[in-house]
Amino acid sequence: MELGLSSTSDKGILKLDPRTKLCLLIAISIIMVGGKTVGVEYVLRVICAAIPFVLLLTVRHVKSALIYIIILGISVFCEGSVIPNISGAPNLILMIICGIISRFVPGYMMGWYTVRSTSVSEFMTAMDKMHIPYFITIPFSVMFRYFPTLGEEYRSIHDAMKMREIGQSVKNPFTYIEYVLVPIMMSTVRIADELSAASLTKGLSAGGRRTHICQINIRLYDWLLMFGALAMIVLFFVF
Amino acid sequence: MEKKFEIKDLITVGIFTALYFAVTFAVACIGFIPIFMVLMPLIGPIFTGIPLMLYFSKIKHFGMITITSIIIAILMFITGHHYPIFIFCIGAGLITELVLKAGNYQSIKSCVIGSSTFSLWMLGMVIAFFFGFREDYFASLVDGYGQEYVDKMMGYTPTWVFFAMIVMCLIGGLIGGLLGAKVLKKHFRKAGMA
Repeated sequence: MELGLSSTSDKGILKLDPRTKLCLLIAISIIMVGGKTVGVEYVLRVICAAIPFVLLLTVRHVKSALIYIIILGISVFCEGSVIPNISGAPNLILMIICGIISRFVPGYMMGWYTVRSTSVSEFMTAMDKMHIPYFITIPFSVMFRYFPTLGEEYRSIHDAMKMREIGQSVKNPFTYIEYVLVPIMMSTVRIADELSAASLTKGLSAGGRRTHICQINIRLYDWLLMFGALAMIVLFFVF
Repeated sequence: MEKKFEIKDLITVGIFTALYFAVTFAVACIGFIPIFMVLMPLIGPIFTGIPLMLYFSKIKHFGMITITSIIIAILMFITGHHYPIFIFCIGAGLITELVLKAGNYQSIKSCVIGSSTFSLWMLGMVIAFFFGFREDYFASLVDGYGQEYVDKMMGYTPTWVFFAMIVMCLIGGLIGGLLGAKVLKKHFRKAGMA
């Protein structure tokens, strides 16, 4: 089963450089989180929301792309036509939920795409080419590798609790948090030890320059997309 | 720095930062309800203190906490926070570093105080409500969330609240640290994991 930064990234039609993905990710989160919903910025928002959808399709994650577009569509529809017609507390609640979805989900999906379509090796190589020091890149690659595992651990703990019928009966939030957090922390400690052992085996601590066999090149479409991302940010700050 | 930084330490940084960030993110999600946004600096550190204490118990070298704070700053910046987050994160990281160093990376007391000072970075998340950023930020919110929400938020955040938030961070971090120490004692020391 593939987790986190995938080991191979050959599948898919469009193979982007990790730096391009990072550029797009930053552009999307700046515009989606801070943007207004009128005028030029509205157009920018539509473009930004469409980018993760298209990119997810290019790596054949059709299901998640569809789910993403449906959720986003519902929340935009609610913002446009449902919210102006109701008032009071339901209005506020719906407004907040839709606001969160339409602001954060595109950036989140772009992040997910970046993590799923980039291998650890590609990520490290790209960071190396950007001259980012290793004490930043190593924790980062470990983190991206670990996030999906964390989700999986949480689901397993949830299942285990359900099987023993303690999920619903715990009323005290602190007890619930203890029941969930402590096993996660236990497995975190274990995974940290295992990863350190693995890194030792792979000679990561040997020093010296890291070599790589993966091809990282900025191609024509990478330049185009990066230029597009930059243009969007400039437009966003000008207007 | 007595011994040279090892790759092992960097992996520890990565894993625990991921855990810390995930817990922070989960807690931050409730921050969209206006009143909770104001209480966030108090509630947040109470929960995040527990994994943070475990992380502190693994720290052996100078600089690990600073790297964690830099990574959190970058992640927060990418997810659309203002640039002052860098100042707050790295500042809090450095202070915590010194506090932990004072306890020689072993004393539980300095870990608890460190948990309190480290949570000061959360101020970087709410700085947009105050001082020079206030007007711009609220203007940008009107379209997305509506006037009603913005009015509520503005009502909750006069300038003095910022200073109250500093105190809230410190107290929240302290409670979180004590809670974390308790959890560590109850579950991890016995198993020899902390």
